[in-house]
Amino acid sequence: MDFDTNNTTPQREAITFSATGSEYFRIWIVNLLLSIVTLGIYSAWAKVRRNRYFYSSTHLAGSSFEYHGNAVAILKGRIAAVVLIGGYNIAFQISPVVGLVMLVLMMAVLPWLVWKSLQFKLYNTSYRGIRFGFDGSARQAYKYFLWLPILNTFTAGLMTPFLHQRLKRFQHTQSRFGSSNFSFDATVGSFYKTYLLFFALLLAGFLVLIFIVFASVFAAFATSANDATKASGIFGAVAALYAWAFIVLPLFLTMIQNLIWNHTRLQQHQFQSQLTWGRTTFIMLTNLLGIVVTLGLFSPFAHVRWLKYRLEATSMLVHGSLDAFVAATGEQVSTTGEGMVDLLDFDLSM
Amino acid sequence: MQEDHAALAARYFDGQTSRLYHVTLSVRDGQAVLAGDIERSCPLGELHVSERSSHAVRKVSFPDGAYLEIANQAAFSDMLHDTGHRDGWVVRLQQSWRGALLATVATVLALWLSYQYLLPVVAKGVAYAIPQSVERQLGQGVLDFLDRHVFAPSQLDAARQQALRSQFARLATPGDSTPEHRIVFRKSKIGPNAFALPSGDIVLTDEMIELLPDDQAIMGVLAHELGHLQQRHLTRRLIQTSAVGAGAALLFGDVSTVVATLPPLLLDLKYSRDVEREADDYAIAMLRQNGIALEHLAQVFVALGKLDEGTPYLSSHPASTERVTRIRSAGH
Ligand SMILES: [Zn+2]
Repeated sequence: MDFDTNNTTPQREAITFSATGSEYFRIWIVNLLLSIVTLGIYSAWAKVRRNRYFYSSTHLAGSSFEYHGNAVAILKGRIAAVVLIGGYNIAFQISPVVGLVMLVLMMAVLPWLVWKSLQFKLYNTSYRGIRFGFDGSARQAYKYFLWLPILNTFTAGLMTPFLHQRLKRFQHTQSRFGSSNFSFDATVGSFYKTYLLFFALLLAGFLVLIFIVFASVFAAFATSANDATKASGIFGAVAALYAWAFIVLPLFLTMIQNLIWNHTRLQQHQFQSQLTWGRTTFIMLTNLLGIVVTLGLFSPFAHVRWLKYRLEATSMLVHGSLDAFVAATGEQVSTTGEGMVDLLDFDLSM
Repeated sequence: MQEDHAALAARYFDGQTSRLYHVTLSVRDGQAVLAGDIERSCPLGELHVSERSSHAVRKVSFPDGAYLEIANQAAFSDMLHDTGHRDGWVVRLQQSWRGALLATVATVLALWLSYQYLLPVVAKGVAYAIPQSVERQLGQGVLDFLDRHVFAPSQLDAARQQALRSQFARLATPGDSTPEHRIVFRKSKIGPNAFALPSGDIVLTDEMIELLPDDQAIMGVLAHELGHLQQRHLTRRLIQTSAVGAGAALLFGDVSTVVATLPPLLLDLKYSRDVEREADDYAIAMLRQNGIALEHLAQVFVALGKLDEGTPYLSSHPASTERVTRIRSAGH
């Protein structure tokens, strides 16, 4: 694509999210009840309802997204996932050999499942009546979800930022909107920089804390304090380490999300992500607190808050018009979507 | 029915390109009629209308993948109402606060009932269905771990250990089968203790033996632990805790796993009291069958009751006085 031919200044179109916690709460609680009384079977329909609500509440340039996922396909995927995970857990208890066989089997099917689930997710999303799609081949899926991760374990994880970049590049360049492909140009170097900064901060915090702990332990011995104060000192130090990790992790999430989306384009249209560390940390902490205090009843509100923040921090710099996209050929969208119906949705986030 | 609504403004997409068409929608003689950038009509029966919602955009889809977005929710709802369209019961439930409140109460009730009544039955069934060999492996690592961190080798001489073992082996057991078990002696840093692992190991600490007045009381403790094995208490407990953990992870899973690990810990406390009573009953039956006075077992809890309340053995067990009364009353 030649970006410079139309020299018009781009128009910023921010994503808006109109869902509210209170409306989602009502959807969530009804879904939850029906899922419980049907012993989980309804959860597939619940997922469709939830996604339809969220997608239809997400607007870009005045139009909203749409979810087309089929509950029966999702149910089939979930049953398969439960069988797989259950079998995997039982296998190791029967004998190590059976467990190992199951492990190999899992590793062999998992990339295929991830690949199918990516296809399902994108194919069942549309915007302005045009469906998204995923082109990547099974071969590539095995490369990025199996071979490279295995290779990475032999490098003591040093390859992780590289792997992360390759994975995102695979995902984003193989995704398309109708017949138009996305592109991705974040460098491996920028991924390493983000990871390094994260580890440097984490380590620096830990060193400071360890120093403080040592100092306080010495102080405790000097004043010959009792066991209770020593124990509470150590407990406090562990809590502080957790707290520090909880503060630095949002920084990493923010930086990596911004990095990925700021280097993703759809043809000439550029994405922008402007998450901030402070706000991300604040939302994550208060959400956690709210969920604990309300014994889980806050979780739909928390979900909407987090989603709203992430979505609304994203915008699209539109060069020209969004009217020119066309559906992919040979993919006539019908109500049944023949040929695509048997795509299983393996919801790996469950 | 026949009075015409004002035509509604809508955005139309044809499903082939991303082009936006501004149109108006009206209903005439059972047909939806579009006018504006594009002219089109379609029988109402062939259209699909998305579910009602206050904050998401409503959509009307045509059979060929084209669809309409309608911004004016209220006017569109009126129009739908006049065509005889009705929301499904799930949608009506979701859209009313009363429905949501009802669903909340029903959900809490369903969760509570399944925790209280369904889960124990299921866990029991699963525990008995698990082959003994698998169950043995569940507790395999536990003793090794305890040996490394909590226990030292027993100071009891081998002859005394063997005497206690064979004395217990001579006793008849209630029920039709005796669970496979192995009595092991350890010296502990945590004081008097006795417990049974799913692996079949019954652990008795030196401190416990010192605390008890006579060998008959030791037999009582061993019988109690054998009762735990017979009824597969620890396995059932493991199944229940992991089921609660999995359930909590499913409910709150996408937000935090930290939250998901809390409920099993909290819910676990109540379970042990019922289980202790079951094991006491087994011990009572076993002592009776062998003509040992129940007072020996009662003395175990009298002795334990005199100890500091902070002992781990006591914290998860019912109050000693309550148990002593129960055992003594079983003797009459
Ligand atoms: Zn017990």
